[in-house]
Amino acid sequence: MSSIAADLGADTRWTDEAMRARLRQRYRSERIFKLLGFGAVALSLGFLAFLLVTMLWRGIGGLSLDFLTASDSTDPATAGVWGALKGSFLTIIVTMALAFPIGVLSAIYLEEFAPRNRWTDMIEVSINNLAAVPSIIFGLLGLAVFLNFMHLPRSAPLVGGLTLALMTMPVIVIAGRNAITSVPPSIREAALGVGASKMQVVFHHVLPLALPGILTGTIIGMARALGETAPLLMIGMRAFIAVPPGGITDPASVLPVQIFLWSDEVSREFVEKTSAAILVLLVFMLLMNGLAIYLRNRFERRW
Amino acid sequence: MSLTLAFFAVLLIAAAVGGTAYVRAKRLRAAGRLHSLPSYHAAHGALWVLAPALLLIAAWAPMQGMLVNQALLATPEGQALPQEPARRQAILQEARQIANNQIAGGFNPESNSIAPRVREIESRYSTLGAIAVILAAIAAGAFLLTRRHGREFRARTAVERWMKALLLAASMIAILTTLGIVLSLLFESLRFFQQVPPADFLFGANWSPQTAIRADQAGSSGAFGSIPLFWGTIFIGAIIAMIVAIPLGLMSAIYLTQYAHARVRSVLKPLLEILAGVPTVVYGYFAALTVAPAVRDLGLTLGISSASSESALAAGLVMGIMIIPFVSSMADDSIAAVPSAMRDGSLALGATRSETIRKVLLPAALPGVVGGVLLAVSRAIGETMIVVMAAGLAANLTVNPFASVTTVTVQIVQLLTGDQEFDSAKTLAAFALGLVLFLITLALNLIALGFVRRYREAYE
Repeated sequence: MSSIAADLGADTRWTDEAMRARLRQRYRSERIFKLLGFGAVALSLGFLAFLLVTMLWRGIGGLSLDFLTASDSTDPATAGVWGALKGSFLTIIVTMALAFPIGVLSAIYLEEFAPRNRWTDMIEVSINNLAAVPSIIFGLLGLAVFLNFMHLPRSAPLVGGLTLALMTMPVIVIAGRNAITSVPPSIREAALGVGASKMQVVFHHVLPLALPGILTGTIIGMARALGETAPLLMIGMRAFIAVPPGGITDPASVLPVQIFLWSDEVSREFVEKTSAAILVLLVFMLLMNGLAIYLRNRFERRW
Repeated sequence: MSLTLAFFAVLLIAAAVGGTAYVRAKRLRAAGRLHSLPSYHAAHGALWVLAPALLLIAAWAPMQGMLVNQALLATPEGQALPQEPARRQAILQEARQIANNQIAGGFNPESNSIAPRVREIESRYSTLGAIAVILAAIAAGAFLLTRRHGREFRARTAVERWMKALLLAASMIAILTTLGIVLSLLFESLRFFQQVPPADFLFGANWSPQTAIRADQAGSSGAFGSIPLFWGTIFIGAIIAMIVAIPLGLMSAIYLTQYAHARVRSVLKPLLEILAGVPTVVYGYFAALTVAPAVRDLGLTLGISSASSESALAAGLVMGIMIIPFVSSMADDSIAAVPSAMRDGSLALGATRSETIRKVLLPAALPGVVGGVLLAVSRAIGETMIVVMAAGLAANLTVNPFASVTTVTVQIVQLLTGDQEFDSAKTLAAFALGLVLFLITLALNLIALGFVRRYREAYE
């Protein structure tokens, strides 16, 4: 306080010109700062809009029923995304079937049963770290373990799904733990009080209450897996596949990889195909994320 | 095939045993008080059948492959196969795929001729396995059913013990994955370092992994100096992308948490999060299609004749945009964690909001923000698709943002997607690069998590 008074002179009043100039200056920098903040948000969203509009403008002409029902072809006129969509679907099914139960069970173990010791710390550190490991590393793991060591079929949704499951599982565990901790202890105590066992408390009361939160995290993780490309390139899902896969061990491609392959084509018509495929992928991503937001808003409880 | 049948048979047996146990328990309960509910008796019975049989299937499936190979090599056809292990392995694998109708015909002529023999031996062994599995299931079920459990039998406790073991096993998968990553990377890298000295790899400035097809061709040795790759990775991911992402992400977080009305925020924040949800392959395509030509034209108008259409700037810019929501949400969290008393105190002294933010909130939140930025860097340098599609392949050691540089992830993709035999130095180099990338991101993550944790403790 005294230093400001010294700066301005002992008999400064709020009405003094020097004081008012100073205030104006402070308010101006306040406005500039606020504008900068707004500008940052606007710039980011502007980029998003630019990206979406570019893709729409280039790809909307390529969207047709034929495009959705045809499979890959070397001729851009007849190429479509059905094979890739089916591959993506099979891959995501495998990922979900593995990552969801394992993720939820680990989250339950870590939150409700794990003793505080070095072993538990190790599990926690490895889960937190796995959530941040670059996805391409999971591709290398899949290549070395599933293809070269276990000799599973190359390019198959089974291997892709396994690889993506390892990648998604930590995301589900982290979301699951957050959802489980947010269930208030009074629920557990009440259930224990009427004679439920620890396991009954968890599976009859805590898990159902935490499920919306877990599902939200799972859907977001699945959306990420659906858009993932790099690890699948590592396990050979980049072959030219003209026949839609019939099962999880058939060679298949997935939608993001199809986009990547088409983007490499020299022919100009493939630009439209690529953008149209991106539109299809974005629609799926938006649907999944929208579902997650809906679930969060609809079922999330504030205790 | 028979194993699949056996699996369903085991399920049936388990259901039967569980059902019997259920009916018995019900009868006991009708006579008086029971320790566990009948459903727990049923689950206990089913588990007793399922656990050994499924373990047996899991153990048998990989063993069967080895047994089939051995039996096949003992036959006259098997002994006629080429002795060279790699080739023989390839033929055997192909023959198995033909036998399972996965492919119509093999590349090697031998594999077509031995395929029927493979099918025959395989069916023999899988029938054997199936019989063993079903017998194990029946034995376990019979053993359980002969032990007549009384009213005091604690089926629930037994079932819960099984479930707890299952929970523990599920959480072990994370450790196994980490271990798998470390071991597979380490193992392949060691093989790489037997061919290329580690010092050349870590400190060499020349990267040209093209090994010649013929031994007498020039440059057949290939050069594996990784310095240009790491420079390119840092240049794009840690410098250019961060110059974009840190100011934009930080200012967005400040605007959304400190200035925007609640209703505006509830619209803008999910919109901003869409940026994080866009698949990276889309960003990559966008960078290659729209941003890269624009950046090149900008470079040419600025008079930089070396401006490349695969510039570091284009890839870095788009990557920075991708990281914005990440930086923003980390900054959001750390600003929200600053006690509101500090903010209120500053405002009460007459500071404007921007003064409060710059002089009080940000310095207090700095450790958290730094942690978030480190996590963002770790994500940026591991990002693959944007750089694969928008950055170049040429390993240049340059600071010119309009020039083309290459990154570690681009080279991993490049090395592993060609048609190469698995043991060449070229493919093994990808694992060595992966190992270094893993270690760097691991270090960044641990430091960042340490920062965030210490920061959180400071205010709790």
